[in-house]
Amino acid sequence: MLRKKDRGDEFTIFFATDVHGSTVCFKKFVGAAKFYGANVLILGGDVTGKMVVPISRQSDGSYVTAFAGKETRLEGDGEVSAFERRIADMGFYPKVMSEEEFQALRGDPEGQERLFESLIRERLEEWIEWARPRLTEQGVRCYAAPGNDDSFFVDELLGGSGVIELLEGRVVELDGLEVLSTGWSNETPWKTERECTEQDLRQRIMPMIEQLHEPQTAIFNIHVPPHGTVLDQCAELDEELRPVHKGGNPVMASAGSTAVRELIETYQPALGLHGHIHEGRGVARLGRTVCVNPGSNYSEGVLNGSLIKIAAKEVKDVHLTQG
Amino acid sequence: MSTTAGQRVFLRKASGLIKTASNTDVFIYDIGLVSIGLGLGFLLFFGPAVYLGGNLYVGTLLAGAAMLLIGLGMICWTVTIPRSGGIYNFGTRSMWPPLAFTLSFVEVSAWLFYGSFGAVYLTQLGIAPAVTTIGIVSNKPGIESLGADLAGKWPTFGIGAGALIVGAIILASGMRRFFFTQKVMFTIAVVGTLVFLGTLIATSRDEFVGSFNSLMGSRLDVGSDAYNGVISSASGAGWSDPGFDWKQTIFLANWAFLPLIGAAFSISIGGEIKQVTKGQTLGILGAIVGSVIVWVISFALVFRTMGSDFLGSVTYSNLNGVEGAGTPVTPFPTLLTGLGADSVALTILIALGFIGWIWLWIPTQILYPTRAIVAWSLDRVAPDALGKVNDRTHTPIPAIVLSLAGGIGFVAVLSFSTYFNLVIFIEVAVLAWAIVLLAGVFFPYRRKDIYEKSPIANKKIAGIPIMSVACGLGFIAAMLFYMNLFYDSFAAGHAWHSNYILIGWFVGGFVIYWVMWAWRRRQGVNVDLAFKEIPIE
Repeated sequence: MLRKKDRGDEFTIFFATDVHGSTVCFKKFVGAAKFYGANVLILGGDVTGKMVVPISRQSDGSYVTAFAGKETRLEGDGEVSAFERRIADMGFYPKVMSEEEFQALRGDPEGQERLFESLIRERLEEWIEWARPRLTEQGVRCYAAPGNDDSFFVDELLGGSGVIELLEGRVVELDGLEVLSTGWSNETPWKTERECTEQDLRQRIMPMIEQLHEPQTAIFNIHVPPHGTVLDQCAELDEELRPVHKGGNPVMASAGSTAVRELIETYQPALGLHGHIHEGRGVARLGRTVCVNPGSNYSEGVLNGSLIKIAAKEVKDVHLTQG
Repeated sequence: MSTTAGQRVFLRKASGLIKTASNTDVFIYDIGLVSIGLGLGFLLFFGPAVYLGGNLYVGTLLAGAAMLLIGLGMICWTVTIPRSGGIYNFGTRSMWPPLAFTLSFVEVSAWLFYGSFGAVYLTQLGIAPAVTTIGIVSNKPGIESLGADLAGKWPTFGIGAGALIVGAIILASGMRRFFFTQKVMFTIAVVGTLVFLGTLIATSRDEFVGSFNSLMGSRLDVGSDAYNGVISSASGAGWSDPGFDWKQTIFLANWAFLPLIGAAFSISIGGEIKQVTKGQTLGILGAIVGSVIVWVISFALVFRTMGSDFLGSVTYSNLNGVEGAGTPVTPFPTLLTGLGADSVALTILIALGFIGWIWLWIPTQILYPTRAIVAWSLDRVAPDALGKVNDRTHTPIPAIVLSLAGGIGFVAVLSFSTYFNLVIFIEVAVLAWAIVLLAGVFFPYRRKDIYEKSPIANKKIAGIPIMSVACGLGFIAAMLFYMNLFYDSFAAGHAWHSNYILIGWFVGGFVIYWVMWAWRRRQGVNVDLAFKEIPIE
């Protein structure tokens, strides 16, 4: 962590990523600038959650829902609202509905999709309204980029917020440094919204690199980390998406992008900001480029972040945090 | 979009949604770290020789019961904070950062010590008795004396250090190789144990006595009926079976407790287990129960085949240097079962089983500190260089080298001196775990924000959160065993030099933290803020 006062041309970026719908993590992200004395906030991709948790009203007045893989019964509005808050902090979307509605939605993928979209929109709008006065009061610049798990309408919500600047697919200038960003990733076993082949990923990033005046002082804010580094190690999966174990231990494998690695090695930017692999918390060097993945523990309500001190267009220090 | 089978939630296409790993994997991880063979060796050697009147069955069950309570407390921690890294993660979320670091430092040192302990006993319990037995059974004096020579200080150090180096090289060369060797050694250990048990079942008392007399009659100086001669000599030198003694039984339990601690080591891979509650519960509790069952069956078979008086006498004679009755090398089960079977092939298989169990400890006890050191480095309480990970192998080579150096240092101390009481570091580590378990009692109240997201958050006993109850019971069990070790002067004790080690290690942890704190301060980094929760305003 850096001292709270600036030193000359130094400035500090707080970068966090993969909050996956966790309200408490987003609120901590907004509060991080004041807490750590950072000048700039950058929120990496995968802003949205993965699961809707229906809370269905029963005929006896109680509610049935699921928590930690088990059916749970809730009694009364007090228990329901406490449960909703807890679920929201973990990054999931609670939704009170009748048992009939729940049963109907079970067999209706399109209905589930609509429900997801409305809940994601609602959550993001709540966040933006919550952040607006706080970011304005602090005078802190706040940037965000989506990730491969985020639907495309997320861009429109973040970009239109007025307090958070959307970075996706473009180059912006940040205190003399150029930042290029993309939330697209290489292919994953889950066939997510923003993934493509390594070649396509390269073609998405190259036009932004061509816009850079000084690639060697730039920041590559690319959701997927470079392949073959400590930042992209995660459990190897079999064909049925089960972790592979040997001798009782989970086998780890690289899931990062070879194209991202190649581009970083070729253009040697000052800094790489990555996420995507929650287990890949760490700092790696590729030549002169410092690459950071703060990892994610969003479901615990803990915000993993990184404080990056920049001076004279160079990375002076990186400190990983768990707030 | 999908509704997960049998669940009441809707999922969308998103990365990271993976199916659960087999709970068996966690069980294998934990039972591998119990080191059933090392435990069996200690219990069957130190039990009858040192703790006269101690009951192996009762002592082992006591240790198992205590470890179950500690395990339950640790399960609550690991399902609430399902991260890899063990007690360092629990501590940094619940207590003063310097204390959390110190507890982690103490724990890491203890496990490193036990990796070295295993490396030393690779020779003492595995290789030397096996070679000696092969020499005796095949009547080749050269091999027999080689076995005795291997049990010497320098060979013990050389083989122990070599084993650590091999373990470190395997770790440094990549996790896949580590997984592969662990799997191979686990298979060898299980097969060897089955051969050990099968040999005991197939060998009657008369056959054992006949083989022992035939092979050892000319080697010991207790007459041609060596079996009874050993018992007579030991009795003359002070060994006796005074009948059941609670105090000695409780002290004896320390030797079952030591390896059983390994059953909870899956807390260090909590972040890598998806179905964490079920996996950790089955893994930790299953490893404890499974190990205790194997030991109890082994005791019964050893007593049936060899006789409890003989086992007590032969181990007592060796430990106390009873003239004419001491075996050429320490009479661990490897030697005695091999002699009873009178077979080179069975001796080799049994020894490989024990070696397999011991080996499972060695690289893992380097891996555990290595993970902690990398975590310290990321948190800036250790030099940055120690957190560096090799690009090709993805392994933290500087941390592995540091752990290896510490391990070899411990092997040297264990081989050449008697300064460290045998399990002194368990005393230190148990105290560290006790403090973490105590913190767990208050965690549901102090960190409600985290605890309420735990899958056990709704579980209560008499209105008290289950974590508080389980950690409270675990704390009591850990403190009882801390005291047990404190008053057992053979295992750990409280001689001044033991206390110096205990205090020194804790003070050392604080000193390292504050030195790093000051150094980072000069670099403009405030280490204290690393784990402070960001307030929501």
